[in-house]
Amino acid sequence: MQTEQFNIRLPTGLVNDLEIVSKLLKINKSEWVKLKLAENIMEEKNRLLMELANLYTSNVISREEIRKLLGEDIADRIEFIRNKSVSSLKKGLDYGKRLKR
Amino acid sequence: MAKGSKDRFIFDTSALISIEIVGSLEELNKLVNIIITGSVIEELENFSRFDDAYGNTSKKILKYKDKFIVKKAVISKRIQFIENTDNELFNLALKEKLILITDDVKMSYHAGKHIETYFSTFFLGLFISMNILSKKEAVEKLEKLRDLRSWNNNIIYLTTKKELETL
Repeated sequence: MQTEQFNIRLPTGLVNDLEIVSKLLKINKSEWVKLKLAENIMEEKNRLLMELANLYTSNVISREEIRKLLGEDIADRIEFIRNKSVSSLKKGLDYGKRLKR
Repeated sequence: MAKGSKDRFIFDTSALISIEIVGSLEELNKLVNIIITGSVIEELENFSRFDDAYGNTSKKILKYKDKFIVKKAVISKRIQFIENTDNELFNLALKEKLILITDDVKMSYHAGKHIETYFSTFFLGLFISMNILSKKEAVEKLEKLRDLRSWNNNIIYLTTKKELETL
């Protein structure tokens, strides 16, 4: 896994609390912070993208606005999922009509 | 409908789970031949060791495994962004010129450049056309699918619901 240095300054009280957690769990402080950060980022990312999906499918926000905000990859992905969802339902409907004949 | 007279579709693990989580796999199997690879069975067996929604659904799917057509696949064209299991299914679809049903967006995106792919919501359209489901029942199934909550699934849910409302 590729890594990148990311420095943050923490209040002394928080570092002391982290020390206690680390001693009680017998886990390295950095490892524990990384784990918790990963969990929270994943949850928050999913929640925000869910909201974005709501806005996009309700035509409140456009693909272009998503592209400007988050870049081409996410904009492409969201557009792809929407188009594929439309074509999947349509294909099923058409196939069912054909089977009925 | 007899096995030989039905059209064949390739399904990946994600699609089988979506379809069975709303209890529709048996009905779907009456209409189409479900083609999978041995790797799909392995994935389902791995999931089935867990006592959660995916695990319990995988156990139910495995009960139907004798009704599926299990094919061997040789990977002659590899897509680098997807896993081996998915490359097998992609190659099978490519070789046999069959449609691949998958809810794996990454797989659908990359494989979709070479073969025809659809999300599992395909079966909702099929069931509506065949009068197996009403529009209302299809939306109810869709709600259950949304419980497999991820932002990808949310777009599939919202878009499909909107499309169903226009029918």
